[in-house]
Amino acid sequence: MEDFERQLRDALARKEQPPLFEAKVFAAIAESKSKRWVSWRWEALAASLLALAGFWAQHEHAVRDRVAGEAAKARLQLALKITVTELSKIQRTVRTTEE
Amino acid sequence: MIAIKTILVAWIALAPLGAQEIKIPASLDRLAAKASEVVDVTLDANLLQLASRFLSDKDPDDVQVKKLIGGLKGIYVRSFEFEKPGEYQDSDVEPVRAQLHTPAWSRIVGVRSQKSGENAEVYVKTGNGKIGGLAILVTDPKELTIVSIEGSIDPDQLNELGGHFGIPKVDTRKEAGHGKDE
Repeated sequence: MEDFERQLRDALARKEQPPLFEAKVFAAIAESKSKRWVSWRWEALAASLLALAGFWAQHEHAVRDRVAGEAAKARLQLALKITVTELSKIQRTVRTTEE
Repeated sequence: MIAIKTILVAWIALAPLGAQEIKIPASLDRLAAKASEVVDVTLDANLLQLASRFLSDKDPDDVQVKKLIGGLKGIYVRSFEFEKPGEYQDSDVEPVRAQLHTPAWSRIVGVRSQKSGENAEVYVKTGNGKIGGLAILVTDPKELTIVSIEGSIDPDQLNELGGHFGIPKVDTRKEAGHGKDE
């Protein structure tokens, strides 16, 4: 029992910190913070680049879509113009013949 | 069992009519080299849908066109203009005409001008009491135009497009001094 009490007392007894312990702890904390900051900056940069690439791809797709759409509209206009003109010519000839 | 057989026979018989579309023969593309002016427009269902997306819902002309192309599956136009007559033969047009001389298609107009040598034909594809396609074939000594429109179309709507959507309003009144047509 005495042995146990002695062990407990030793364990709970205040011990002096080794010299420079506090400085080492602060240095370790500072280093850890610095590493985390550098890592965070790289992650932010990568995310920004990814977002930029996504935005650019979306913009390019929209531009290509618009160009193709406008071209299709112009072709449609031309096709309808030819169709209407030919039909009108035929209609006019038929009317002329009837008269 | 008899009902299934009847449906199957009817489906086999009607399937070719549904699938009957005018194929522009590749031989016509060879005429492009001889032609002074060529118009080649191919608008399949996807391109029509794309073009439709770029038509405004507010512009009355665009709305009219949107309505017109709503039921279409394709518009195909080949037009060749030549410097001199005889650059193409009847045999070049025959494959197209042969496709139109089928039960699915009916010729509604045929105009032949002896004076100018122009020959114009309008065909419609009918089914279920509706027009399911329109084909125009215009042959002239110095010009050849083939228009094929697939899908449900109202010719009156086409006519109304004159003067709108950049399409010139065409006067269909009798021209003074027009040649004798038959």
